Amino acid sequence: MERLSRRSFVKIAGAATGAAALAAAPPVARAAVGGDAEHGEKINPTTGVPDEPLVAYVRDAKRGEVTVTAGLTEHTYRDRALVKRLLRAARKGE
Amino acid sequence: MSSHREAPSISQDPVADNADTYAFVSPDDPTTVTIITNYVPLEGPPGGPNFFEFGDDVLYSIFIDNDGDARPDIEYQFQFNTTLRNEDTFLYNTGPIGSLDSPNWNKRQFYSVSVQRGGGSGTLGQNLACPPCNIGPRSTPNYDALAAAARHHLPSGEWVFAGQRNDGFFVDLGAIFDLADIRELSSAHLIPFANSTSVDPLKTLNIHTIAIKIPIWKLTRDGSVPSDPLAAKSVLGIWGGASRRKVQVRDEHGKGTKGSGPWVQVSRLGNPLFNEVIVPIGDKDRWNALDPIDDKDFAKYVKKPELAGLLNVLYPGAFPNIAAYTADPTKTRADLEAILLTGIPSGIVPGFQNFTGPSPADMLRLNVAIPPASDPSPFGLVDGDPAGFPNGRRVFDDVVTIELRAIAGLTIPLVDPSYTVDPVVTIPQFSSNLTPGAGRYQSDFPYLGTPHDGFDTPSS
Repeated sequence: MERLSRRSFVKIAGAATGAAALAAAPPVARAAVGGDAEHGEKINPTTGVPDEPLVAYVRDAKRGEVTVTAGLTEHTYRDRALVKRLLRAARKGE
Repeated sequence: MSSHREAPSISQDPVADNADTYAFVSPDDPTTVTIITNYVPLEGPPGGPNFFEFGDDVLYSIFIDNDGDARPDIEYQFQFNTTLRNEDTFLYNTGPIGSLDSPNWNKRQFYSVSVQRGGGSGTLGQNLACPPCNIGPRSTPNYDALAAAARHHLPSGEWVFAGQRNDGFFVDLGAIFDLADIRELSSAHLIPFANSTSVDPLKTLNIHTIAIKIPIWKLTRDGSVPSDPLAAKSVLGIWGGASRRKVQVRDEHGKGTKGSGPWVQVSRLGNPLFNEVIVPIGDKDRWNALDPIDDKDFAKYVKKPELAGLLNVLYPGAFPNIAAYTADPTKTRADLEAILLTGIPSGIVPGFQNFTGPSPADMLRLNVAIPPASDPSPFGLVDGDPAGFPNGRRVFDDVVTIELRAIAGLTIPLVDPSYTVDPVVTIPQFSSNLTPGAGRYQSDFPYLGTPHDGFDTPSS
């Protein structure tokens, strides 16, 4: 997995608090889409939106770039497998 | 307007719309600087039952550059939290609000203040109460006492206030956005009408103010209180900004939005009218998202301001000299670059400078070694009052007149003595033609006057 650096100015100050989330984000993001989308199950949400949602979005499908926001951090990764799973999950919702 | 609804995106987001930024040596305590950033433009005083407030999901910042590199060395941050006493009423208040902890006040807002400097950060105050909005004589019968109680003296030495105030900015919005009309000169306009008298629509509107009064020694690069106006350390670069989280997820059960990711700036303001009048509409949102250090991208708009070229078109034949100067490819507006982007270097105005270095950056530049004026002029530096705009900006400075005249060429001779100012630029009518009335301002912190109450405003 290759991380593409994206960082903005003053908000660097939040880096210390966000470091743990940064390191944990990719596997958590995988879990968010079911780990193995081949066997993912489409369900209705069981809870409301969490106070600090972790969000993964496909930034560039062709390049396999996915951006993950968690806490006050945001990082973009090149992870073609994760992008593929997210796209599969999106298609399941159609 | 100074920066009320000045860009496409932020015009859709009033609570994050930095409408005015002010910075001045406090007239009642010259050992301090007061910085004010205003949000929620064009508040109609009767706007209930959910009266105006700051955004709980917005990070409000005040930035200070004290070493001339156009990067913030100090950032004060303000974050808000709204609480309800009673969810089973539609009312903002259930009786008169006599104090900031009145049980009759249902929907209250509190805030925290923190500071980042030199790589460190700290919380300066928490659970600081905002005053209510000024509702009317039944609900807020002694409003000034409520507002006074909402001035908080922090243990670290700063004074802070956050809440509704009278909007001190003044301009004839209706005329200026009707193809740059000045009612006193309407007969000379390309589409002429009879001359009339300028109108100030802001005189009955409120604003939400974040104000902080800071000891000067806390702001300067070496912790001193400068006394030499010509010393570089005497000049501070100051601007305001508002940021939102990168992602907002809306709850499907009506519980609002939840944020994720870093703060992303959505609004900023240093010099009044910069984004409003100088930056073209296609670049305004980008300007709001960037920082002063990025302003070299926008210097071209200062060097050849669109409005300078339009004046002679909209007022045919009245501005031939500025029209020719603007059209001349060998000429650029070094005067405006100095006023807006670099500060005025020594040697231009005797005894004065607010130069922060050659990097073009839109910041208010305040020379803190210039004491408050005993007899201030709303026209500031161009009228011989160096304590006023563009040396920082005071609440009563007539920035519309100052900038209108500067863009029309009044300040070119400061850097190009061969230029002859068009005579119309100096006639009294080529101005805002407005004088704010009593009550618009007050002599002590937070210096903007009591907000209009919703019962009495409008009065008919």
